[in-house]
Amino acid sequence: MKSFVVLLLAFMAMVSAKTVTYNLTATWVQANPDGCHERRVIGVNNVWPPPTIEVDKGDTLVVHFTNGLDDRNSTIHWHGLYQNGTADMDGPSMVSQCPVAPGASVVYNFTVNQNGTYWYHAHVPSQYPDGFRGAFIVHDKEAYFADMYDEELVLPLSEWYHDEMQVLVPKFMSLYNPSGAEPIPQNLLFNETMNSTIHVKPNTTYLIRLINIGAFVSQYFWIEDHDFQIVEVDGVYTEPSTADLIYITAAQRYSILLTTKNTTDKNYAIGTRMDDNMLDLIPEDLLLNQTNWLGYNDDKSDYHNADPSLKDLTAPFDDFYLVPHDKQGILPEPDHEIVVDVSMDNLDDGVNYAFFNNITYTRPKVPTLYTVLSAGDDATNSLVYGEFTHTVVLEHMDVIQIVVNNADTGTHPFHLHGHEFQVINRSPSYGDDDPTPYDPESSDNPPFPDIPMRRDTVYLRPSGHMVLRFRADNPGVWLFHCHIEWHLEQGLVLTFVEAPKIIQEQTNVRPDHWAACADLSVPTTGNAAANSANFLDLTGQNAQVIFLPAGFTARGIVALVFSCISAFIGMGFIAWYGASDLSNTEAKIILKNGVELNDDQELDIQDTETVNPHLAHHN
Amino acid sequence: MAGVFSVEVFFVLFRESLEASIILSVLLAFLKQGFSGSGSDQVVYKSLVKQVWYGAAAGLFICLIIGGTFIGVFYSLGNDLWAKSEDLWEGIFSLVATVLITIMGLAMLRINKMKEKWRVKLAKSILDSHKHKDMSWWNPKRITTGYAMAILPFITVLREGIEAIIFVGGVSLGTSASSIPLPVFTGLAAGLLCGYIIYRGGNVMSIQIFLIASTCFLYLIAAGLFSRGVWFLEMYRFAKAAGGDVAENGSGPGSYNIKASVWHVNCCNPLIDGGWQIFQALFGWQNSATFGSVISYNVYWICICLTILAALYEEKHGHWPLLGRFQKKKMTEAEIDQMVREAASAEKLATVKNAGSHDIPMDSFESTSEEESKDVSR
Repeated sequence: MKSFVVLLLAFMAMVSAKTVTYNLTATWVQANPDGCHERRVIGVNNVWPPPTIEVDKGDTLVVHFTNGLDDRNSTIHWHGLYQNGTADMDGPSMVSQCPVAPGASVVYNFTVNQNGTYWYHAHVPSQYPDGFRGAFIVHDKEAYFADMYDEELVLPLSEWYHDEMQVLVPKFMSLYNPSGAEPIPQNLLFNETMNSTIHVKPNTTYLIRLINIGAFVSQYFWIEDHDFQIVEVDGVYTEPSTADLIYITAAQRYSILLTTKNTTDKNYAIGTRMDDNMLDLIPEDLLLNQTNWLGYNDDKSDYHNADPSLKDLTAPFDDFYLVPHDKQGILPEPDHEIVVDVSMDNLDDGVNYAFFNNITYTRPKVPTLYTVLSAGDDATNSLVYGEFTHTVVLEHMDVIQIVVNNADTGTHPFHLHGHEFQVINRSPSYGDDDPTPYDPESSDNPPFPDIPMRRDTVYLRPSGHMVLRFRADNPGVWLFHCHIEWHLEQGLVLTFVEAPKIIQEQTNVRPDHWAACADLSVPTTGNAAANSANFLDLTGQNAQVIFLPAGFTARGIVALVFSCISAFIGMGFIAWYGASDLSNTEAKIILKNGVELNDDQELDIQDTETVNPHLAHHN
Repeated sequence: MAGVFSVEVFFVLFRESLEASIILSVLLAFLKQGFSGSGSDQVVYKSLVKQVWYGAAAGLFICLIIGGTFIGVFYSLGNDLWAKSEDLWEGIFSLVATVLITIMGLAMLRINKMKEKWRVKLAKSILDSHKHKDMSWWNPKRITTGYAMAILPFITVLREGIEAIIFVGGVSLGTSASSIPLPVFTGLAAGLLCGYIIYRGGNVMSIQIFLIASTCFLYLIAAGLFSRGVWFLEMYRFAKAAGGDVAENGSGPGSYNIKASVWHVNCCNPLIDGGWQIFQALFGWQNSATFGSVISYNVYWICICLTILAALYEEKHGHWPLLGRFQKKKMTEAEIDQMVREAASAEKLATVKNAGSHDIPMDSFESTSEEESKDVSR
């Protein structure tokens, strides 16, 4: 009987599931989202902002993607979607597919068996901050809060640059930016614009899906005089938690239930503010906080700025304490633990790079997924993926524990493709000089929560640490990286190859994906060095720049020795010169001129004449 | 220590007070030469010695006032101005200080020559002053005549003092105000002590060795300063291109231009670590040496060597290399001696006359004076 019900439900799901098709063509468009500066942005189908993709849970999504950008490659990543069984649809270029050349097309085709708030964005280096990103909503009639709200809003947040990434990146990855200072954005966008009004009805409950589709700064979000309830983070339903201030990093999502007030007498400020701790410097003209309005009435006379000094920003809601609605318990002790230290350092070219355990991610010559598919039995050997893709091979169904220690002094939102993780420990921030790695033996560690919070993007605090767990139940090639695009550019990425033998069994790469590789002459077989004869031979792989030589090299020693020699020679000359002054002493002069001056000691006026003969003699 | 003791300032003060004390000692030696012996002269002699000291004291007093004001104003106004592009100013100040130290340094090794030089100058000015005794009473030159022994040290001390102020101002442009007072006093004390030893006719040899050692030291400092100046200018350019506070990273990677680096050790940063700061002040240490800083250090020493060669040539041949025909011949040592004796006599004569001592016939003085003038003018 029970199995019959399950079957019936499955059948019902099949009939209700539909296929949703989108045609997305990336194109350059002019836009002026903040009203301060018009610039070229990447839109979709000649419109910016790109559309929100909406599907119902269980739907199959088919996206015909065409790269309409004339000057660069592109791909799309579906942020937060697990791609279970469709690892080739994940999107990162040189990981699960080849980049799509200008004018070329690929199809993304996958089934969405998830619910909640997601987003999509370009996943070639440094592209989506130019505008190619949008919301991806999976509606779910079964959600526990489905009948607790009347209306639904999607509010993307982001920071905005007036310069294109192709201007900013070379300056950022430069000898002349040795500290790796991230470019400072010009403004914060709210719903892709500024100074906007969200018109609301009184006494109504709204489901607001907040998505930080930005690439850098975290944002504080609050609504004047309103509390709200958090019901979802990154696609994971949570027990309702009341908050009045949340902290949203790049790529994080929050669904909140907001019940409006009974009266329409007053409009309220919606405040967003950059986390200025993430900025290396704060230009004088930078507005850290932006104000938009919750409009109960049309009278704008009471619009006023959401002055953050009126809002205590010290204690935003800590997502660590959220409880998933499904009450999934903590995963058992890990089968496989990965400990990584996050650091930033300069390599021999003077550029500042980011590292997991001294490896800065360097793209392989063959997309890693295609190496899995072509490596046969060698696919279980992490070596074939190259030394600088920082690949870790995971066994199917193992419990994986990632310990991330922050040796850097910045906040990093870490994202894992293909999974959400349980966050079982997250330290407070520590001082710049006091990076504190995770010590499993320490008695200071709080006990792991029984029902840990889960999400796909978790921030790590400055100089702190965190411990994440997930079960390797989703075969595929998944990146684990910081979602700050600048840090991605700096190489703060590692690769998980999860259950490679199963990937080989279940993956059937579409012909148009192979064709994309052919367009750009990207090899599709072989190891990271595109060597398909011997997968263990990495000769010619892309390698990171070498580390700076420590201390004195031959050049330095020669320079130092020569400096010392010239100083000694110089001092020798000085001594010589000084010693020759001895010939100027009276004694010497007297000796030279053969004069007895003793008599002259008693010199008086009459003696003048007696001295004169010397003078005459001398002349 | 580096924050309270500027080695450059010490040497400037040492050098200037040494020069002033030598001049004083030359003056005193004059008086001794002219008045030693006979008892009747002793009263006059003592009053003249007093004049010398009063003059010197007055000069020093005015200097202290000017110097204090100058440095006070300088630090209250100046530092804000330079805070903005500190590297640039540090570089320029270091180079200015190098030039100043270099100019005055070698002269210190010519202490005997310096003594000679001052003997000539003083003799000349005394002789000149006596020439003016026939002028009308309100002529300033006439007025000063009676107090020549006070005016000369006054002017000398004032001159050296103001020179010291300007030099201290110059070499300390980039340093903190707190690093100035201590070296000022120690430098003064050391210079005066040295001058006193020279006056007392101490061991010429050991004085000279001391001077050689301290000059070597001074030039080590100057070479380091020069290299540091170039380093700061390079750093300024790099920091400007980098568009931020590149020193933010301390001494680690990112704090310097890798492309211009000759060596770099991630420690021992003289900008951060006090001990290494002293090492830098003395020997020009850089934990992050650049092509510019290394080359400039070596070039500096080469220039010093060449300068010394040229100076020795000048001493031997009486003119600078290649410039022989443009320079007039200098007085010989015997001529100088002669002139000095005349000056001493003239001064004695004038003083004795002023003091109302009529033991010596007037006309003989007059005639001698005229002859002296002729001699000198040759």
